[in-house]
Amino acid sequence: MASTATSASTTRDPLEPIPLIEGAQTDESLNTSLLDHVWRSPGKGWWTLFGLALAGLGLLVVGITVTLWKGIGMWGNNIPVGWAFGIINFVWWIGIGHAGTLISAILLLLQQKWRTSINRFSEAMTLFAVICALLFPLIHTGRPWFAAYWLMPYPSVQGIWPQFKSPLVWDVFAVSTYFTISLLFWFLGLIPDLASLRDSSRKPLQKVIYGALALGWRGSGRHWAEYKWAYLLLAGLSTPLVLSVHTIVSFDFAVSILPGWHTTVFPPYFVAGAVFSGFAMVVTWMVPARQFLGLKHVVTMKHLENMNKVILATGLMVGYGYAMEHFIAWYSGSKYEFAEFFEVRQRGPLAPVYWLMMFCNVVVPNIFWWRKARTNLLIMWVAALLVNVGMWCERFTIIATSLHRDFLPSKWELYAPTWVDWSIYIGTIGLFSTLFLLFLKFVPAVAVTEVKELRHELAHQAHGHAEEAHG
Amino acid sequence: MSSHDQDPPQDHPEDHARSTSPRQGEGASASPRRISLPIVDEALAATETASGAVREQRKYWRSIAEKEGSPKLAAAALREFPPGASELPEVSRRSFMKLFGGGAAAAGLAACHPSDEQAIPFVRRPEEVTPGNALHFATAYGVEGYGRGLLVESHEGRPTKIEGNPDHHDSLGATIRYEQALLQGLYDNDRAKQLKHKDEPLSWNTFLGQMATLAGRHAADGGAKLRFLTDPTASPLQLELRKRILEKFPKAKFTSYSSIAGDGAADGLRLAYGKYVEARHELTRAAVIVSLDADFLGEGPESVRAMRQFASGRLPGAPMNRLYVVEPALTVTGMSADHRLRLRAGDVAGFALALAAELGRRPGFAQLAGIASGGHGVTAGDPKWISAVASDLIKHRGQSLLMAGRRQSAAVHAVVAALNAALDNVGTTVTYATPLLADPLSGPKALAPLAEEIAAGQVDTLVITAYNPAYTAPADLKFDKLLARVPNTIYCAAYEDETAAVCSYIVPAAHQLESWGDARATDGTISIVQPLIAPLWGGHTDIEILSAFLGEGDLGAYEVLRRSWAAKQATVPGATGEFDQVWEKWVGDGVIVGTETTPEAALTLDGAAIQQGLGALLAAGPKGGGVEIAFVPDYKVLDGRFANSAWLQELPDPVHKITWDNAALLSPAMAKSLGVEVERDNDTFSVLVIEYKDRRVHAPALIAPGHADDSITLALGYGRTGSESVADGVGFNAGLLRGSDAPWFDRGAQVSLATGMHLFGLTQNHWSMENREPAIATSLADFENPRSEARELIEERRAALPTIHEPHDYSKEQYKWGMAIDLGKCTGCSTCIVACQSENNIPTVGRDQVVRGREMQWLRVDRYYSGELEDPEVIVQPLACVHCETAPCEYVCPVNATVHSDEGLNEMVYNRCVGTRYCSNNCPYKVRRFNFLDFTSETPAVRRLGMNPEVTVRSRGVMEKCTYCVQRIERKRIETRVAGRLIEDGELKTACQQSCPAGAIEFGNLNDLKSRVTKAQGDERRYDLLHELGTRPRTAYLARVRNLNPELAKG
Repeated sequence: MASTATSASTTRDPLEPIPLIEGAQTDESLNTSLLDHVWRSPGKGWWTLFGLALAGLGLLVVGITVTLWKGIGMWGNNIPVGWAFGIINFVWWIGIGHAGTLISAILLLLQQKWRTSINRFSEAMTLFAVICALLFPLIHTGRPWFAAYWLMPYPSVQGIWPQFKSPLVWDVFAVSTYFTISLLFWFLGLIPDLASLRDSSRKPLQKVIYGALALGWRGSGRHWAEYKWAYLLLAGLSTPLVLSVHTIVSFDFAVSILPGWHTTVFPPYFVAGAVFSGFAMVVTWMVPARQFLGLKHVVTMKHLENMNKVILATGLMVGYGYAMEHFIAWYSGSKYEFAEFFEVRQRGPLAPVYWLMMFCNVVVPNIFWWRKARTNLLIMWVAALLVNVGMWCERFTIIATSLHRDFLPSKWELYAPTWVDWSIYIGTIGLFSTLFLLFLKFVPAVAVTEVKELRHELAHQAHGHAEEAHG
Repeated sequence: MSSHDQDPPQDHPEDHARSTSPRQGEGASASPRRISLPIVDEALAATETASGAVREQRKYWRSIAEKEGSPKLAAAALREFPPGASELPEVSRRSFMKLFGGGAAAAGLAACHPSDEQAIPFVRRPEEVTPGNALHFATAYGVEGYGRGLLVESHEGRPTKIEGNPDHHDSLGATIRYEQALLQGLYDNDRAKQLKHKDEPLSWNTFLGQMATLAGRHAADGGAKLRFLTDPTASPLQLELRKRILEKFPKAKFTSYSSIAGDGAADGLRLAYGKYVEARHELTRAAVIVSLDADFLGEGPESVRAMRQFASGRLPGAPMNRLYVVEPALTVTGMSADHRLRLRAGDVAGFALALAAELGRRPGFAQLAGIASGGHGVTAGDPKWISAVASDLIKHRGQSLLMAGRRQSAAVHAVVAALNAALDNVGTTVTYATPLLADPLSGPKALAPLAEEIAAGQVDTLVITAYNPAYTAPADLKFDKLLARVPNTIYCAAYEDETAAVCSYIVPAAHQLESWGDARATDGTISIVQPLIAPLWGGHTDIEILSAFLGEGDLGAYEVLRRSWAAKQATVPGATGEFDQVWEKWVGDGVIVGTETTPEAALTLDGAAIQQGLGALLAAGPKGGGVEIAFVPDYKVLDGRFANSAWLQELPDPVHKITWDNAALLSPAMAKSLGVEVERDNDTFSVLVIEYKDRRVHAPALIAPGHADDSITLALGYGRTGSESVADGVGFNAGLLRGSDAPWFDRGAQVSLATGMHLFGLTQNHWSMENREPAIATSLADFENPRSEARELIEERRAALPTIHEPHDYSKEQYKWGMAIDLGKCTGCSTCIVACQSENNIPTVGRDQVVRGREMQWLRVDRYYSGELEDPEVIVQPLACVHCETAPCEYVCPVNATVHSDEGLNEMVYNRCVGTRYCSNNCPYKVRRFNFLDFTSETPAVRRLGMNPEVTVRSRGVMEKCTYCVQRIERKRIETRVAGRLIEDGELKTACQQSCPAGAIEFGNLNDLKSRVTKAQGDERRYDLLHELGTRPRTAYLARVRNLNPELAKG
């Protein structure tokens, strides 16, 4: 075990100006500091936020009740705008979920060290975002009591299978798989930490609950070996999901013939957009969370900067997607495509949303070319927030703006959301926040074992060989 | 129709009536008026027997009033249904039971009363009646005094669908919007139900007794203070009753009145020919038609036939007719014009004179110069336009036709008569006949003498069978106040409307589909009007009310009618034999063949009289400056009488696509100068204050391309304040500005902006085709040039598209259903929409939902403007599901709820639909309709009686759309399979096709190479809508070809 003095220097990578773990940390100190926010009784801040989140959740309950009671007519949808807030929010939430999977799976396979402090956090976000997303496909249907199971392939008395040509059926498979794998991955990663919680529990009930959830984890070598394998396997399983889920969600649009939907660039552009929005959401939450939960020593400026780089990169991809859409709209020679991209979106009644999208998604991320912006908490927080707004606007533009003016000008109609639309949207933010605050209260927000492992790794890299030689 | 002429089987209807049980009964055999089942006419029983029942009724309504806490309702506690009860009438358990019972009883009418009132089905008289199989009955519906023949489909005694009678002169098998909506008027909870005197319920017998007393009193002075106010009518029975009443009361007077009748024609033709004559038009022979503010395709008793005849001359290849229209606001006729000149209504007289003067300068038309000089230089219109029209008319001498509109003065009608005579059109395209109507004058001016008499206290008893005069009368007469002064006013009321509120006796009127009577077509052909159902709420016909003054006892309309015709049998050519047999044929056929009247042969036009008379007539016309206000009958509610029909209220106006409203229509230039603002999606406009003389109304503006400047067009029939709950609060009452001196248009209105904006429920907010040309129109010259742009466009849209997968081959199927819609024939009249709504049980959704873009009509008629906004070209395009062979909606449905049939129908499986709306998103035609809310379960029980039992009612959250009337296909398939043959071309029609006056829609089997639809789809004008998407639609369009005058053609 390294001394306090050496660990202070060993956690600093000489090639990196900003360390991944700050300060002179020991396993003990990491344990204490990272489990602290679970054992500490929640403060005023937490209760205030939780109250707000519950109020939002209340709106969701009201919105869904009204929708089920009276019908989809309580929303702003019409003919031609058959899909609007429901599907916009669905795609938005699914997109937000993507950061978690990317960080936990792909960065793990790529052996990116900086993922360890933020993976738990973003995996939880994935899970909660997917829960929010899953609500929409169900409640947006005219008869959810049937939609809930008629899209599932089971031998029914009606003698009809789902229509396997429909992307909505693919969605059912893609999203449910995604949710299952995300849940397992998150829970698997949590097991050693749950054991830590069990071990440091001060009350019998806590001990029982955390103990049950820890599934008998004792930290034996065999446990660790199998755990590592399982984790790696799940990472492998998740990796294609990062690409497939949003690809399939994009098929909902790409497979149709509607100008503005019928676009081959959609799969990669949707995936890039999803990672873009996912990272933006992680930054949005991480900046305040690391402050209030006392995680600054493990979620350092290095992490934030890396995430901002990802935002910049995916933002550029999204910008490229937009450019290609517009180019193809012109190059295809289709007057409907051309009108959709160069007239309806840019000058139609819903054009403000389009221009807001362009500003937030194409202009704003470019601020991260500058290191100063990448490392300034306020700037990155505002930029991430704007990216969230921009990505919502993108889904609005793709879905509602394309629908409201399509082929025949005789059936062009305006679209405007109703209070129920807003209630449900804000309500899902409430649901997300509620779940997230509960997560912060009951589970360590940072993967303690992984951080400890990282600390060892870093220490080993710097001085390990020398110590071994002399030891 | 050979079966038509066969003698009908004589006995089995009665047999059936005796043998069937009440539950299985059929309206086929009889429609008795008096029924012994207690529920169905509870009100009648109540008034006839114990006062206890009356008390109970009062208590019931009083409790409603208390519950609502409304003073207005409390005051009307005795009304069976409170005025404006609710937007969607609520049905209590009690009234549900009552109405449901009424329906059940109505279904069993036949068996429960061995009545001698015998209704006779049309043509397909069944050997035996099978429950579930519909019967058709011929009857007629009165349109501005004339009758148009109908065939009404009846299921188990309930009329469920209106069609035109193909044997009727004015129908030719088609109908118009209002007729399609008659069912809504029949099954209307808001109808007047209780006979009463000053709010006291009265039995029919008591009423008859009181009428007898009244009649006795009036008989003393020969009826000097007895007056009758009726709708204009040509009914032989009405005329006979009139005559007999006048014999009994020689000093009594009859006044015919309709607020939308024009008197200019009668007066103008009298000036021209020295006596009252009626013009009859024969459009098939007209090569050039000039309409002077005459909306002959859009309104009036001849319109249905006119559309068919006009459409027959719109096919390139055959000689085409050419239509010039001069009018202030776009009409159905104006939309169909080859050349249109926008002129204020008041300037049309100037145009007529200018045209006469122009023709007068041409060789051979000197007499017209003289007549035109009588106009003292009054002129209007573009001289180049007028000259071109004049040349065209001369070129087609004897094959041209000029028509003047009902709004125009006698001067215009006289000049038009002179023009028609000078152009040798009389006898070919126009003929004149002795008037069939009881009174030649029946417009707003005809009401003034009666108003004066009332004001002078010369009327003690006024019998009103005319429609709602208190509402429709010109505002300056203050007729509602006058009516209140008459000691006895007897009003035969369809609804407890504005007039009922000021009359002493309210007699609930039987609906036309509940009435016996007779009617004449515009050529004089007589139809017997037979009821389809016993009066649901014990209504009475005007015949019964008039008969009450004859003191012949309570015979009932049927007996009065039958006796009258028994006496007149000899006057009908060819009607020999036993009367019972003759009668059965008359009633069954719906027309009495050979009763048409012949036009007058030897009429000479008195040019000098016209020349002299013009000065005075023109002097009485509008003069001076200021904005012109012009009134039009509404395309949906007419003069207000159809205002309580939700189908019609929600029907987009054929031109402006307004639902649930009327508007102040004005030109874009005028809107700009007034500062009218347009907000939201082109559907929110400033509200105007229109002041005229001492009257003013607030009216929302609507910018109407093609409208004449300095003129505002206002539709009548809105702003109702009676007890009609659907009509309540819809639109504004333009009639409040109307004066009896100038009932149709006048200048001098002051128009200014009021505060506030008005949001219209428009179903189409975009005027332009955005260079996509979904509806193709081309000139004849371009069409005949195979290398023209238009021809290339058409060719492009019919060529086979390359495809990567072999499309299914439907040619081996027995049937391959397809449709062809001829844009050259379609006038945009929108009858098809109502027909579709009625056939397919399509719900109405109300104004608010239309604003949100959720109207449910499966069929829509798109209207596009092109060219200049001030003077646009217009084209209309009916569009429902086009049944794509490679349907984009089908592959995206996750639950297989929309699938393709072997015969190529794109089918909706309502039960399977979960409502993802993906199909609608992917439908490039946007013809799918979604039940966003529960639009059907609150339908009043009585309305449900009129629903088509062969079509499922869709629930909330389900997608629906045009099915090509699959229920009609299956019905025919069953019939023909039983007969062991295939469905022949022409025996199967979709609802839209059957109702279409212009015959613009063909439907049938594309695998039958000889079928009409196959021929139409093979036409040179055929193209597919959105062909480039490769959807392979089964509905094809035929491009419209405009027959432009080369002198006026642009460029």
